[in-house]
Amino acid sequence: MEPLRIAHTKSTPSVHFDPESTVLAIGGESYPEDSHQFFGPVVDWVDAFLSGAAGRVTVRVDLTYMNTSSTKYMIDILDRLERAHLAGWKITVEWNYDEDNEREIDTIEELKEDFEMPFTLIARDW
Amino acid sequence: MRSFDLYTLRTTFESQGVMMCFNGPFSHSVIEQLGDAVKNHLRSSDAPRSRVTDVFSVFVEQAQNLKNYTTARLDGIGTLAIARDGERYVVSSGNMILPEDKPQLQSRLDEIVSADADTLKLMYKTRLREPLQDGAGAGLGLLTMARTATDPIEYSILDSTGNYNFFTITVTI
Repeated sequence: MEPLRIAHTKSTPSVHFDPESTVLAIGGESYPEDSHQFFGPVVDWVDAFLSGAAGRVTVRVDLTYMNTSSTKYMIDILDRLERAHLAGWKITVEWNYDEDNEREIDTIEELKEDFEMPFTLIARDW
Repeated sequence: MRSFDLYTLRTTFESQGVMMCFNGPFSHSVIEQLGDAVKNHLRSSDAPRSRVTDVFSVFVEQAQNLKNYTTARLDGIGTLAIARDGERYVVSSGNMILPEDKPQLQSRLDEIVSADADTLKLMYKTRLREPLQDGAGAGLGLLTMARTATDPIEYSILDSTGNYNFFTITVTI
């Protein structure tokens, strides 16, 4: 598969998925004008990758802000990875947060509650 | 050429603690630019980071709800203001709505306004897992605002003259 490369804008995050290293990296701010249009291709890419033989995916998220519709799409992506995890894939989620921002920590902790796959919170190195 | 009474306008804003206000057609780039202004202003103040996130989050949800609704149903025009009230911030937006949209909006807001924190969390989590729809749901944005607010959300729907109602929502953080 070709790598997935989406450059960030003011309101959309960068998304990189390298099929060699199998790292999916999402970073920046996320409040797109049309979340479906932005995240749809990312969801399709993840689906296509996970349709292959079971392997490994490391997800690195470094979002300083995501609006509610972005949260919905991020959960949709994590649900797909969780299903892969339950089907034998080795999935690791590493989610960056700001130590001085309680709101960010609460949001991620709450998100994490719904998943069984390895999900680590990492203090952001500014 | 007509002259506007900007001094009166400014005095009105200042008397209500308004830091920033936008009135006019909302586009995505207007939201991005205003969002930058809001963030820069708050970061230069003594507000803790979680407060900056909360105010920015409520601003984005209100602005996107306003833009999405008014663009789909009316003319894309609305008003959004951010004010300071002592240690707290108040984010408020207003726009016309069609009378036929009033009952649904009102029942959705009444449900959210009367809910306690645990109920709001449950409603939020349930809605997050509902099937994805194009454009996503305004309901999730309202729930996020209610969960971020330090006071219950306030709203009003005025019977205005003409064919529309004027809807306002106010969130204190």
